[in-house]
Amino acid sequence: MAVPNRGIMSNAEWRSPKGRFIGFMYLLVLAIAAIFVLFPFLFSFTAGFKTSLEVYRPGFHLLPEKWNWQNYVDAWQRFKMVRMFINTAIAAGGGVLAQIIVSTMAAYSLARLRPIGKNVIRAVILITMAVPGIAYLVPRYMIMTNLPFLNISFVNSFWGLWIPYACSSFMILVLTNAFEQIPKPFFELAQVDGASDVRMFFMVALPLTSSLILVLGLLAFIGLWGDFLWPYLILRNSELQTVSVRLYTLTRTFPINLYLAGSFIAMLPPTIAAFFLCSRIKGGLTI
Amino acid sequence: MSVKTADTIENMNEPRLRINWKTQRTAYLFLLPALVLFALICWYPIFKTILFSFQEVSLQGVRGWVGFENYKRMLGNPVFYTVWRNTLNYVLLSIAMGSMVPIVLALMINEMRRLSSFFQTLVYLPVLIPVVVALIVWRQIYAPEGGILNGLLGIFGIEPQLWLQNPALAKPAIVVIMTWLGAGGTVLIYLSGLREIPPELYEAAELDGFSVLKRIWLITLPHLSARIKIMLVLQIIFVSQVFTEPFILTAGGPANSTRSPVLEIYDTAFNQNNFGIASAWSVSMLVILAAFSILYVFMQKKHQEV
Repeated sequence: MAVPNRGIMSNAEWRSPKGRFIGFMYLLVLAIAAIFVLFPFLFSFTAGFKTSLEVYRPGFHLLPEKWNWQNYVDAWQRFKMVRMFINTAIAAGGGVLAQIIVSTMAAYSLARLRPIGKNVIRAVILITMAVPGIAYLVPRYMIMTNLPFLNISFVNSFWGLWIPYACSSFMILVLTNAFEQIPKPFFELAQVDGASDVRMFFMVALPLTSSLILVLGLLAFIGLWGDFLWPYLILRNSELQTVSVRLYTLTRTFPINLYLAGSFIAMLPPTIAAFFLCSRIKGGLTI
Repeated sequence: MSVKTADTIENMNEPRLRINWKTQRTAYLFLLPALVLFALICWYPIFKTILFSFQEVSLQGVRGWVGFENYKRMLGNPVFYTVWRNTLNYVLLSIAMGSMVPIVLALMINEMRRLSSFFQTLVYLPVLIPVVVALIVWRQIYAPEGGILNGLLGIFGIEPQLWLQNPALAKPAIVVIMTWLGAGGTVLIYLSGLREIPPELYEAAELDGFSVLKRIWLITLPHLSARIKIMLVLQIIFVSQVFTEPFILTAGGPANSTRSPVLEIYDTAFNQNNFGIASAWSVSMLVILAAFSILYVFMQKKHQEV
């Protein structure tokens, strides 16, 4: 029997008057949700064109009296937004890279190389996932400001972000499962050709899971791009700060119209990325 | 767990080999970065937190053991009870206001024949926006001076409200933002669940004359129930850790009505420079959240799909 192409309602029902009514209600609810989702974007976009006085004026005026494009130019230049985006890309990109390197290596070892005490290591990593990172923030901060034995401080250094970002129990556990599911013959064939464990890591394990690694990396990147508390503690120098940290600091000293314009600019790259990457993210959450 | 069974099968088929030290060396070299980093970033700090909670500690260093003094002072502070009551309120409000939203949205998005992927992307959009940037904008939407929400409600003749300055309104106002920020991710998870439901089930139900609502109630929701339970536990874990929203919008006010445990840890540690009491707070939070986290891990293992 051919699998019928349908949802909860069949296509025939969907076209009936009752179905049309239900469909219309769905559309109505989704349209309201869409307005709710988009409203902050729209608000910051138009408020970014207003004068400060106009933003503070009571009443409902979404559109500015005069479109002051200069606000956006000012925000872009005075906030050094290019610097901000580059910093965030370095912090998140380096973090994701470190996370992928550390996690793939650990997962490969746990899944294929059978280290002694493997189950214990695995259990401890799993337990770490159950402990909220926020609960040990304070000692972690002290360690990063004064590394034991070496007395190095990672304040104002991207290493202070990359090192904690590299630890992801989630990624290790997902990748361990993925490596275990690679059919044995792939490795056996490589072994016959005389490939070492290290070589098989690069030639078999990584290529066969590359799409999963890409999705995991993408999800991690999204998370790290918006991270706030940890970069706020580590990056005190304004030249190094990420989008979140810098914009938060700027709201204290700059006029409202400028930082709303800046906020809108800061929302643009993720928005553009969303429409490009939607299908990938969709696939990624069903791992 | 599938891993365990794979292991036992391996052990049955292959006779126990002598330990190959060369492979062991490679294995541990591959594990080394992870072990060193986890020790430095997670395990050692967790151990330290427990230690600190019995010591007098500031950023300058440890000043000595104080026994249960930190815990006594934490429990003697009325803020402790306010903060945990707030957390309970946050969790209940977010479940009441936010937990149904993703289910309804996912159902509708999945039913749409056209525009389905458009709405899906749109709903997911807030997840991609840095939380702080979104909060800066929301703060002005709620603001008493020129807040556009009051302006909008004014059209319908509703009096302007002090959304974030009124203890009765501040928490619901924050939970609305949390829903805005978080619903999209949950929608995607439910959508992947909805796509797994075999269409034949709906076909059969339709032939038996079940209405659309009955089909949702008898087929769709039972299929989603495992995911819904897991997302509910996750929601509790996430909402209990709320920090950025009260930090940026209200600084814990008015009258501590939006103060959360993490915000209290942050203030105690970095503003009052008392890491000992902050650690006592952390331990109390760790115990409560770990219970939920373990529940989550167990539920996830039971239903492997999420």
